[in-house]
Amino acid sequence: MTGLLAIYAFDDLWNLGPYIRYGLMSLQHRGAENYVVCISEGDVKCYTANNIDNVSEHVATNKVIAATYSNRDEALYIHKEDGLDIAVLADIPNAVLEEVAKELSRALKKDGTVKGVTRALENFGAKEYIPSFIAITNRGDIIVWRSVSGLTPLVLGGYGFDMAIVSSETTAIDILGADTRRFLLPGEGLLISRYLLTKFNTASAINPRLCLFEILYLARHDAIVDNVSVYSFRKSLGKELGERFNRDVDVVVGVPETAIPYAIGFSQTINKPFELAFIATGGRVRSMLRFDPREKLIAIHLKMNPIRHSLEGKRVAIVDDSMVTGSTIKTISQILRYRVGVDEVHLLIASPPLISTCPYNIMKLDMESLLAANLSKEMALKYLEVDSLSWLQPEVIDSVAKMYRLKLCGKCFGREFFG
Amino acid sequence: MVVSFLGEFMKVLVVGSGGREHALTLLISRSMLNPKIYIVMDYRNPGLERISEKSGGRWFIATTTSPKEVGKTAEEVSPDLVIIGPEEPQFSGVSTYLREKGFIVFGADAKCAEIEKSKVFARTLMWKYEIPGRLYFKAFRSIDEAKKFIEFAGDVVIKPARQAGGKGVKVLKDTQAYLSKDKVNIKKNYIDKLYSEMESYGDIDYKILVEQRVEGVEYTAQVITDGSSFVFLPIIQDHPHAYEFDTGPETGGMGSISGPGWIPPFLDQEEFERTKDIVAKVLYSLSVEIGINYMGAFAGQMMLTGVWGPTVIEFYSRFGDPEASNLVPIVVSDFLDLLDRAARQKLASAKLEIDEEKVVVVKAVAPVGYPDNKRIAIDHPIKVDEDRIKDIGCEVLYASVSIGPDGNLYTRGSRAVEIVCYGSSYEEAYSLSEKAVTYVESLDGWSLFHRGDIGSPWLVRERIKLAEKIRRIYSDRARRGVLGEMYVWIPGEGIYSNPLLSPVRW
Repeated sequence: MTGLLAIYAFDDLWNLGPYIRYGLMSLQHRGAENYVVCISEGDVKCYTANNIDNVSEHVATNKVIAATYSNRDEALYIHKEDGLDIAVLADIPNAVLEEVAKELSRALKKDGTVKGVTRALENFGAKEYIPSFIAITNRGDIIVWRSVSGLTPLVLGGYGFDMAIVSSETTAIDILGADTRRFLLPGEGLLISRYLLTKFNTASAINPRLCLFEILYLARHDAIVDNVSVYSFRKSLGKELGERFNRDVDVVVGVPETAIPYAIGFSQTINKPFELAFIATGGRVRSMLRFDPREKLIAIHLKMNPIRHSLEGKRVAIVDDSMVTGSTIKTISQILRYRVGVDEVHLLIASPPLISTCPYNIMKLDMESLLAANLSKEMALKYLEVDSLSWLQPEVIDSVAKMYRLKLCGKCFGREFFG
Repeated sequence: MVVSFLGEFMKVLVVGSGGREHALTLLISRSMLNPKIYIVMDYRNPGLERISEKSGGRWFIATTTSPKEVGKTAEEVSPDLVIIGPEEPQFSGVSTYLREKGFIVFGADAKCAEIEKSKVFARTLMWKYEIPGRLYFKAFRSIDEAKKFIEFAGDVVIKPARQAGGKGVKVLKDTQAYLSKDKVNIKKNYIDKLYSEMESYGDIDYKILVEQRVEGVEYTAQVITDGSSFVFLPIIQDHPHAYEFDTGPETGGMGSISGPGWIPPFLDQEEFERTKDIVAKVLYSLSVEIGINYMGAFAGQMMLTGVWGPTVIEFYSRFGDPEASNLVPIVVSDFLDLLDRAARQKLASAKLEIDEEKVVVVKAVAPVGYPDNKRIAIDHPIKVDEDRIKDIGCEVLYASVSIGPDGNLYTRGSRAVEIVCYGSSYEEAYSLSEKAVTYVESLDGWSLFHRGDIGSPWLVRERIKLAEKIRRIYSDRARRGVLGEMYVWIPGEGIYSNPLLSPVRW
């Protein structure tokens, strides 16, 4: 998964190096293994590195696109057509982007307006899934487009009269001191050049929907996604868990750190104290975005030094946003039982069981390792060493999604849509 | 109605060439005073030509900033009333000269127009007379002084100290320390750039203004005055960003919205009253300061801010452009009579009646290149299908466009035309305006652009949300009695009532 960031400063006084540095930093939670920047200096140049400074140091211009990636999923596609070079950074790798880059560069060369760009994208038809992308040409134009699928978001921000900033998440716009201007609708795109910023729309018969994991796990708590506060959405799901919980517990803890708002919503609903339970060592690592089992365990173990005093001898409710393989929860229950010495462990998951793979390759889910697809509930309780396990039913996600006026993709939960 | 002449018609000479003058002449052409409209303009504006011809008047091409040239036309026409549209002829003394020659003139005297021309004069006046809605500022004559100061400046706006066609403003929000160091360089480089642009204006001392940065919702409060009475116009909101969704460089205005009624949906009645109070106080203070009655149009470019509530960004010594265009569908009163009374200092008891049901959306259509590269935006032939625009109930106002030798319309680099549409709701006025702009076409393939978001119910809702947030901030500041106050503490140095300073030095 990827965080995209495109910045166009209309005044060439600007050197966007520091902006790329801090902007990428604010998108690191979307994946922090690899970084890429592309600039336009007569021709298009892209630089990749595994730390931010080694890419931002190449940026001394007033227009740039950049991305942060998890693992080695870099989705960079470059096409050089006679006289028009283009670099496309997408938020999900997909072979169709090779073709997209080619068609865009041809369209821009021939026409140079949004008409050509719109036609080029529409020609792929409804069958092809094209991920959201940002692109830069050797003429210095920036093109951004949100997939008609709506699965991944893009948002436009403005800094005074000087910059247009497009990002996967509002965090980058906040951190760069800009104001959020527009959540791009599915199929909505912008062509940004020195003397014109034009909006375009690609028509599609597809029903747009946002990936549930975007708002469930990926986005930062302080982000706004398609006009919805991520924090508020997460607390609402915690509240729903609380309303359906009929056990007695002493304290509520959240799996660090994505699950904290869910645990707060849950704790406020069942009227039991929310406590800090674990302290991380080293920087924030998104263990779910690690796919090598050993690396994943190392990441989990480093996040989980327990605060024994809050938990010892207590009946503990532990809340998480989702459960994929169960390895995080297994680790936590072991720590709670053997290192801390709690009385009971009750596990609450703020989403339905994950039982299917992701057809869009957004979440890399391997059927073999999905806990809910392979273990019976009884076996899961034994394996995880928990006293109870509650998932949120799909109908609950439905009603919360409706409340926030969101249409969410539910494929990996065995549903077409929520909301 | 002032009957100062005995003929069946009134001769009116309008000075100016753009969209605002087209709007004004349309408004006055409906008058019961039966005006013959004479125009003195810099180029052949097709709208102004037509109105003057239709009314039985004439048009003249001249340098409208030249008192002598305009004076010569005035002598020839011998008008009952002269209306000065733009600010530059006021700055260069056209209104003053014509008044000295005995003409009745609607339009600020050169000394009154200082309030627009010199932002230092305007700001100083507000501080001297303690008028609410004033911002902290510092003005500089020399580039070195300015650059030295900027080293220690925090969250500021850098502006040209003189009105420069509504452009040149750099808003440098600087509230993130991790980006501050870099912004110091931007500020210095911008001062260099701005200073070299300002050197061409020989008519002011101060070149650069550094001002407290504020954020909020902008709006324009316009008034017609004779120096002692005021007739306020409805509040209108302009959109200064060039591109969609409030992005891109500053322009003179890409479109404006107003209605229904006297205030747009994001402003409340009390804010309107306080705005009027500020504008009236400024005009009173101005007449005390310079001892001349202000006869003409005046406007406050306002912003609803957390610091003050209604706050002054700058002043116009004339009607706004495109704000004047919003008046076209809604003015019910005899507009010429109002202007005439103001020019004769007989405005007391005059009232403006408007159609309070209408929502108005105005959109400017400009050639690509505007506002930052007029060289490439100039001399492109365009076609305006006026019949179809009128068929859907909208009006075309011609602005920066002139009739070429071949009879075609050619762009002059700025906003070429303004489209004025109205309806009973934003939905209606907006969709009409979006349809109407499609009837303005380029004939040589050079792209024209307009802002598709102006007037949309979506953008109006965004403004309402922002205004609600701002209202919470300033209401609490008002309760705590700290409206307008801002403090910066630099440990070891002291506490300053001056938000221009940065607490950290790089």
